[in-house]
Amino acid sequence: MTVFASRALRCTVLVTFASAASLAVAAPPTRFVQDAAKSTLAYSFVQAGARNKGTFRKFSTTLELAPDGLAASKLDVAVDMPSLDTGDKERDDTLRGAEMFDVTKFPQARFTSTQIVRTATGYDAVGKLTLHGVARDTHVPFTLRTATEQGKTVSYLTGRTTIRRLDFGVGQGDWKSTEWVGNDVTIDYSVRLAPGS
Amino acid sequence: MLKLAGMTFRNTPSRWGSFAQSLHWLIVALLLLQVTLGLVADDLPLGMQKLAMLARHKSVGITILGLAVIRLAWRWSNPTPPFPDTLKPYERVLGHFTHAALYALLFALPLSGWLMSSARGFPVSWFGFVQLPDLVPKDTGLYEALLQTHHVLAIALGVIALLHVAAAVKHHYILRDDVLRRMLPFTKTR
Repeated sequence: MTVFASRALRCTVLVTFASAASLAVAAPPTRFVQDAAKSTLAYSFVQAGARNKGTFRKFSTTLELAPDGLAASKLDVAVDMPSLDTGDKERDDTLRGAEMFDVTKFPQARFTSTQIVRTATGYDAVGKLTLHGVARDTHVPFTLRTATEQGKTVSYLTGRTTIRRLDFGVGQGDWKSTEWVGNDVTIDYSVRLAPGS
Repeated sequence: MLKLAGMTFRNTPSRWGSFAQSLHWLIVALLLLQVTLGLVADDLPLGMQKLAMLARHKSVGITILGLAVIRLAWRWSNPTPPFPDTLKPYERVLGHFTHAALYALLFALPLSGWLMSSARGFPVSWFGFVQLPDLVPKDTGLYEALLQTHHVLAIALGVIALLHVAAAVKHHYILRDDVLRRMLPFTKTR
């Protein structure tokens, strides 16, 4: 992408936020909700030296742009843990099991931002990720691109973050070792957001 | 450099050189290790131990594949000690078939293993140093077929290796020729 195009994009994003902020002084925040069909939440981890990949089939995202600016805006993501899918039943069952995500006990993971800040390349949602019953401060950096599709304004929220599974107690017994299954888990998200209620 | 019983690095028309011998016996040792790792992994319940065994099995398999490439290249760039003149025509055919099959299996087994790992969505890494590319996209049906293939090929390798060993023993103890001796270090060939 050229520098110019990238600048133009950033301007668009800024304008989106600015207009959201200036539109209504005492109005409720503008809510964007996820278009499930066009959104993906993927993760990858190193297993025995090789990168293994998976996705969550069910998750929901809400982005609230507060009228008084970015800092009060909010990103909320809820992930249906049993919907994890690495394409292999045995691996999926192991991941859902008591020694890993323990999805019967902790069926949902949730990220709720406390604030969103501007960064050099986009935005950073700072907040708490509750996973496997453990809440940790987590950064969710993202870029936002808006487009007009069929007369509607939609936004694409994309980004990547890395968390450490052991911070959340994911991996008990043998799985506490990081020799064969790495600690770092990379999470990639690409979410299509449309104005919603 | 010390030359043991006329041993040379390259092959001669009468015996295998030390490099060819090293490759032969190294691959024998790795194949025995492979069978052990594979059988142990098969018996383990799903878990960390199984994952570790299979990871080692894959790494050793890729090592054998690499050694097989080197071996074939070495064979093509070196003289091959010929069969003894005493062999009957059908024995020559059988000998050539056995050797060709062994070489083919040294390629086919690791490749079928690599393919089945790709088809199952468990990429292959060589001892954690290099991640190998997936050869095929994930496909459960294909994985099942490749798993069967891998097992059948392993059994075929076992059978043909036994034939190979039986022939070596026959050459050594019954025919009393140099066929086994010329693949052994520290031996004199006549």
